[in-house]
Amino acid sequence: MSTASRLDGIRAGHPRSQIRYAFRLATRELRGGVRGFRIFLACLVLGVAAIAGIGSLTEAVLAGIRADARLLLGGDVTVYLTYRSANEAERRFLANSGTLSEVAKLRSMARSSDAARRSLIELQAVDGAYPLYGEVALKPNLPLEQALKNEGGISGAVAEAAVASRLGISLGEHFRIGDAEFELRAIIERQPDAAFGALAFGPRVIVSQAALAATGLIRPGALVNYEYRLKLPPGTDEDNWARRARANFPDAGWQIRSSADASPGLQRFIERVGFFLDLAGITALLVGGIGIGNAVAGYVASKTAAIATLKCLGASSRLIFTAYLIQILALALIGIAGGLLLGGLAPAAIAPLVSGLLPVELRLGVYPLPLGLAAVAGLLAVLVFSLWPLAAIGRIPPAALFRDTIAPARRPVPAPIAAIIAAAALGLAALVIMSAPDRRVALWYVGGAIAAFALFRFAGWAIVAVARLLPRPARPTVRLALANLYRPGAPTARIVLSLGLGLSVLAAVALVEGNLAIEVETRLAEHAPADFFIDIQPDQLAGFAEIVRATPGTSFAEMPMLRGRITRLNGKPVEEAQVAPEAQWALRSDRGLTYAAEPPAGSHIVGGSWWPADYRGAPLVSFDAELAQGMGLKLGDTLSVNLLGREITATIANLRQIDWARLGINFAIVFAPGALEAAPQTHLAAVYTAPGAAEDNLVRQITDRFPNVSAIPVREGLEAVARVIATIGAALRLVALITLAAGILVLGGAVAAGHRRRVYDAVVLKVLGATRGAIAAAFLIEHGLLGVVTAVVAAGLGTLAAYALVTGPMRSDWVFLPMPLAAILGLAVVLTLVFGFAGTWRALGARPAAYLRNE
Amino acid sequence: MTAGSPLVALDEIRLSLASAAGPVEILRGITLTIMPGETVALLGPSGSGKTSLLMVLAGLERPTAGRVELAGQDLGRLDEDGLARLRRRHVGIVFQSFHLIPTMTAMENVAIPLELAGDRNAFAAAETALARVGLGHRVGHYPGQLSGGEQQRVAIARAFAAGPQLLLADEPTGNLDGATGRAVIDCLFAEHARLGTALLLITHDAELAARCGREINLADGRIAAERHAAPRRRAL
Repeated sequence: MSTASRLDGIRAGHPRSQIRYAFRLATRELRGGVRGFRIFLACLVLGVAAIAGIGSLTEAVLAGIRADARLLLGGDVTVYLTYRSANEAERRFLANSGTLSEVAKLRSMARSSDAARRSLIELQAVDGAYPLYGEVALKPNLPLEQALKNEGGISGAVAEAAVASRLGISLGEHFRIGDAEFELRAIIERQPDAAFGALAFGPRVIVSQAALAATGLIRPGALVNYEYRLKLPPGTDEDNWARRARANFPDAGWQIRSSADASPGLQRFIERVGFFLDLAGITALLVGGIGIGNAVAGYVASKTAAIATLKCLGASSRLIFTAYLIQILALALIGIAGGLLLGGLAPAAIAPLVSGLLPVELRLGVYPLPLGLAAVAGLLAVLVFSLWPLAAIGRIPPAALFRDTIAPARRPVPAPIAAIIAAAALGLAALVIMSAPDRRVALWYVGGAIAAFALFRFAGWAIVAVARLLPRPARPTVRLALANLYRPGAPTARIVLSLGLGLSVLAAVALVEGNLAIEVETRLAEHAPADFFIDIQPDQLAGFAEIVRATPGTSFAEMPMLRGRITRLNGKPVEEAQVAPEAQWALRSDRGLTYAAEPPAGSHIVGGSWWPADYRGAPLVSFDAELAQGMGLKLGDTLSVNLLGREITATIANLRQIDWARLGINFAIVFAPGALEAAPQTHLAAVYTAPGAAEDNLVRQITDRFPNVSAIPVREGLEAVARVIATIGAALRLVALITLAAGILVLGGAVAAGHRRRVYDAVVLKVLGATRGAIAAAFLIEHGLLGVVTAVVAAGLGTLAAYALVTGPMRSDWVFLPMPLAAILGLAVVLTLVFGFAGTWRALGARPAAYLRNE
Repeated sequence: MTAGSPLVALDEIRLSLASAAGPVEILRGITLTIMPGETVALLGPSGSGKTSLLMVLAGLERPTAGRVELAGQDLGRLDEDGLARLRRRHVGIVFQSFHLIPTMTAMENVAIPLELAGDRNAFAAAETALARVGLGHRVGHYPGQLSGGEQQRVAIARAFAAGPQLLLADEPTGNLDGATGRAVIDCLFAEHARLGTALLLITHDAELAARCGREINLADGRIAAERHAAPRRRAL
């Protein structure tokens, strides 16, 4: 084929020859290197690496949970019973099924021998078969059985280090639990089935089953959980066994968990944390997308002459567009590959930092699913953000070659390109939603991301519009700075968007965290009781009241407490009921419940009416209004609760709005009098003390007289809550910082892209007699203004978001905290000034003569 | 500077610039004086050193050797900011490619040197200067909204705004068509006549050179010829 006919083919638009030629053009252009694409690549690598890294780390932990499932569960299957141990028939069935190990768990008080010091503990009583899988690592290195055995009439105990320090005892010294005395024989270093995630109020102590009996803690209604772990004969189908157990003992009310579902709490936690961090990665990718778009726009602008030349020579817009799209996609592949490599290796680097926080070993490896998701997300983001600026190719007129300043044709983005952008954006949204463990949150995220982009875009536009309308400052340096905010092609709106997003997340996190801290540390603490006392036996109540009343400045409230599990909603088993995610927690395990003649304090009846104090009719129940809504229950519906194997069905008589923040005693489920009085139960009491009251003395008196009663200091509980809030805050700050990092990349890119313009301004101003100080002032004012307006917008939107969260879902009072906002303002100004200064310094150093000569 | 002394005095100016192939000698010993109010055309082939000489004169390039005196001040003794201040007071420059600041209106561009000099009536003076070059109706326009000829007239108004003693113009009509170029040059000479500013014009245009009182021909970094052109101007 002759050259002429080949060109004819290309001009005529033969698709295959077009694409082949576009490839050739693209490779010729790419020979120039990727200098102008450093920010493009950095943004893409950061976003893809964040998603791939977080996903790989999550998978490594989940694989660890799966691999260590039997260790975490303590057996192939575990049967949980709350409040009661297995009866004779049940125990026989379990023992006949395989190797059985029995563990009892309860909260209790440990006291030093002289009763001077005490600590709330999580007490675990184990048998000789424990643990069925793995080993309890002790210091000194003893076998567990030896450490726990009774020597010379004293039983051994092993405990977490905190117990020894709280009681002020060393190895070999004695301490008391309930009525029994123990010798601390070793410190627990690692326990294979250590619980995770729950708000543990006290450190763990392990004793033998026989020793537990001697403590006198096992009384009717005591809050004891029993776990029966089984090692099944090889080849036994765990699920089949569980079905058989349920069928043989339909009224046992036991929960059976197999190794496939070993640690649902931990798994849920990891999936959630992974998901939230994933969203952070996506956010970083989206913010980085602005940098990607800027880089592509800058590239197309720098190629105006080349594109106009190609058009003059007869190349179609479509051919040129294809050639440039091929270049962008080739670079995207490089960026994605870099991101995957970095993200794939990240878990190995992070593993040492997180391994201490998790009860399982990370299983490092290459996990194709998160890597694939990251790659697809990266590619879609590149398409969403680069196609728009690439479409400008169609608007470059060939006449651009002949005239310096030519207004680009105002043509909309061609429909096919707009359609691809929309499809890629939808694809990205679908990817986020489909890969999320919680679709609702993912949907909120997508909506929020669109709203945040729209809001910041509008804010950027508004700033440009306002700057344009402002009266011209008299000083030329200030005027130049202000004019640079709204000149055509100014990156103001993009910087406000990219940097502002990260800053506003940071502001919102700081404000919410600050408000929560104030709520927990001051307001909650003001109204909260000093201590809760649990496991008070009915016959101990009078004595308990006597001690409290005898202590000046104290008062108390108490309610009976039973534990039961919701089994049916309107007669339908809960497994089959449609329940909203925010109400599912109430169905996962046993819940505390009570009965009362009067509504508990801190409740507000929002539907139905309270029963007469002397009610003795069919079972009625008062239910938490929010849970009722989540479970689709209304007044007159029925709720069935399994209490120690006995199922009670009650009609919902009223619904209560409960103020949990009072930290008083309250229950989601309150029965009317008449149904539960005869069931085994204990009492829960909240003791309020005036400042200066002898709280320590009161706790000592009560726990000395009633060793089975445990005191839970609310201060410790609040501290535990504060720690959880701080941890969540740290995770959220990390999210904000990843987003901010992407924003900084965009800022850096924008400053670099504006370098030529700054050099030009500097040279012209120097020629006109401006000193370097005056020129530097102009540039610094420009960047300072940009930092201030970005921070003001970010602080405003961050405050708005925090206010909505605090007064909305958190139902707390709002306190405006100026310090975090001042810090954000400072950070924004410092960031923009540092980058601005770096750019300005180089511009100031430019030799005017060299520049003017080249012109 | 005393009465009768030159406005500009160049003494044995040499300039060599580094290049990949080694140092290139651009100016090879130029000695030249320009008197206040004088008009001088600088001619010569491309690469003869015209623009470099203009840069040295304006303090935008430091010579490798030799001495430059402008308005009685030795440029070699001034730092970069000192040179900027000297330009602000005594020198206006007009470039072939205008070099206006695109984010500023015509009036703001013209006002810059006045503002830098601390003139409180900078804007009024800038408006008058623009009216004088025939752009009184374009004061609020941005460079991008003006034609090439109009942009060059804004540049001339800017260069003359602070009443400089010396105006340097580097091929001011190089980017303009004939008619527009002539209008721009008329404008330039009108301002020269009004203010008594000395003019140094780089040009390839013999007709334009002929309007100047003196023609200097550069070749290979040296002054090749120099003649007073006043009789020819009269002949036109």
